[in-house]
Amino acid sequence: MMDETTMIYLALTLVVLLLAFGTLGSIAKGIYYDIAILLMVITAGLIIIISQVDYVMFTMLTSLLGTTIKPANNYMINKKQDSVIKNVNNLYYATGYVTANLFPYVFKNENPPEDEEERMSQAPELWENIVKSLGFPFKFHVFSIGLNVQTARDELEGKRSYQEFQLSRALQGNANETVITSIQRQIRVLQSKIDMISSGEKPIATIMYIETTAVGITEQEALDKLSSQVTAIQVAFSSFDVELRRIVGRELYEIFKFNFALPLTVKDASSLFDQQG
Amino acid sequence: MLFGIEYAISLLFLVAAIMVPLSIGGYLVKIILFFIAMVFDVLAFTSRHYAYLFVPFIKGRGKRVILSNDDAYYLSASADSILKKVGEKFIATVYIMLPVYTSSTEMTDDQKLEFTQKVSRMVGITRDPARFTTEVLIMNKDDYLRELKDAISQADNEVAQLNLNKNPDKKRMEHYKGKSVMLRNLLNDMGKVTSYEEISYVTVSAYGYKEYEAVANAQQKARELISGISSVFGVPVSIITGNELLKFVEPEYLIPYVTVTTQMNSDLESKVI
Repeated sequence: MMDETTMIYLALTLVVLLLAFGTLGSIAKGIYYDIAILLMVITAGLIIIISQVDYVMFTMLTSLLGTTIKPANNYMINKKQDSVIKNVNNLYYATGYVTANLFPYVFKNENPPEDEEERMSQAPELWENIVKSLGFPFKFHVFSIGLNVQTARDELEGKRSYQEFQLSRALQGNANETVITSIQRQIRVLQSKIDMISSGEKPIATIMYIETTAVGITEQEALDKLSSQVTAIQVAFSSFDVELRRIVGRELYEIFKFNFALPLTVKDASSLFDQQG
Repeated sequence: MLFGIEYAISLLFLVAAIMVPLSIGGYLVKIILFFIAMVFDVLAFTSRHYAYLFVPFIKGRGKRVILSNDDAYYLSASADSILKKVGEKFIATVYIMLPVYTSSTEMTDDQKLEFTQKVSRMVGITRDPARFTTEVLIMNKDDYLRELKDAISQADNEVAQLNLNKNPDKKRMEHYKGKSVMLRNLLNDMGKVTSYEEISYVTVSAYGYKEYEAVANAQQKARELISGISSVFGVPVSIITGNELLKFVEPEYLIPYVTVTTQMNSDLESKVI
C-alpha cells in the first residue's frame, strides 16, 4: 500500500508529464514528436513501476552495476541487496531477513472463535517444533506501535471498502478462485480488526520479521549458507500459514538500523515498510 | 529537499524545451532538454525513498556506496543502553530481558491458550514503539566446558588423595570415581553436539538532544514496560547491561568463534577422510 506522501510525490511527478503532453506540439515535430511520446511513455512507466515495486528495480540496478552499500563501519550490504555482511577476524557473518506477519494466524480472529482458540493453543507447540527443527541461529521480531483509535478505525474502514470494491470487480470479471478467496480473507481480517477496536481493544500496528545469520570463511560461503537458512525458515514457518518473503532493497537497510535504534513514531515506521511488510 | 531540487530542475528543463527557439539547434536541442526533464522527473520520484543514497551513490560512482563510516552504535557511559546519533538527536535503545522458561510440553491445552493470550497482550502493552524478540543462538560452551574440566580434575584429585590412605573410605572413593566418569561422559557429549539457547527480550528506544537525556528517556520507557510485562507474566524482568548487550546486537555473538572453528575442523576432517 502506498502512503500519503508517496501519493503526493506520484501526483506531482505525473503533473510534469501532463504539462509535457499539453505542450508537446511546441517541443517537437515529425520524428522528434514520436521520440518525445516514447520518452513520456517510458517516464510514466518507470514512475508507476517504481511506485509499486521500487525494491525490485533498485535490486536490479545494484546487481547490474555491482553496487555494494556500506551502512556503517564493518558492515556491508551485498549487490543483491538481500544480506548484511560483517567481517570479524576474517570470518564473514551474513544476515538476512524474512517477513513473517503472524498476526493473521495467531492473534487475529479472522475465523470463528472456536477455530481461533484451537490455533492459539497450538501456537506454542508449533513454535517449539520450529526451534527444534532449525539447526541454526535466528531471531523472531515483533515490532509494535500504538495507534490513534479513530484514525486506525477510519483507515481500516477505508481499506475494507477498497477490498469490497476489488471483490465485486473480481466477482464480475473472470477472476480465479484463489484471488477471490484471498480478497475475502483480507476483508475478514480487516473486519475482525474493526470489531476488536469496537470492543475496546487498543489498536496497534505490527511489523513481524525473522532474522537469521550464517557464517563462512568467504563472503560467498556465508551468503550461500544464508540462502539455504532462509529457505529452511520459509519451509519451517509455513506451518503458520503466513507469507514469508525475503526482505530486499531499502527495507533491508531500514530493518538493519532497527538493531541500533527503533523508529520513534507511527509515521516514521509506516513510511519505511509499505512494500514488503 | 532533494525532491524539490530535482522537481524544479525537471520543470526548468521542460520550460526550456518549450521556450528555446528553433534557431538554436532545432528540434534536436529541444528533445535533449525534454529528455533531461524526464530523467529529473523520474529522479524526483525516486527521491521519495532513496534521497539518502543519491550523493553517496554519485561519490562512490555506483560501485562502493558509503552511507556511513561511523560505528553502528556505541555503549552509553552507564552501560545500560546503546546510543546512535541521528542528525541533531541521540537515540538511546534499551534491551530488557524476558525470563520466560515455560515449555509447551509441560503445558495443558488451556495453559497453552493462556500463554499465547499473554504474549498477545504483552505485544499491545505499550503505545510507544517496542520490539519483542525471541532469539535462538548457539551457546558459547567455553566457560561451561572449562567448569566441567575443573570438576573432573577435582574429582580425580579426591580419588588420588583417598588412594594415599592405607584404608581409604570406599564409599567416598566410589562417589568420586562415579562423579569423574559421569562428568567425562558429559564432557564428551557436550563437545560433540551444538547446543542452542533461546532468549526473549524487548527493545525500546527514546531520543534526546543530549546523550544523558536520551538514555534517561529510554530508561523511563523501559521501566514502564517492565512493570507492565511483570504484571502480565509474573516474572522478574530486568534491563540488560554491559557486554551482555552485544549478544542482541552483534551477529558474531549468535555463532561463537569457537563453534565456527570447531565446525570448520570437523568439515575439514570429513573431507580429508
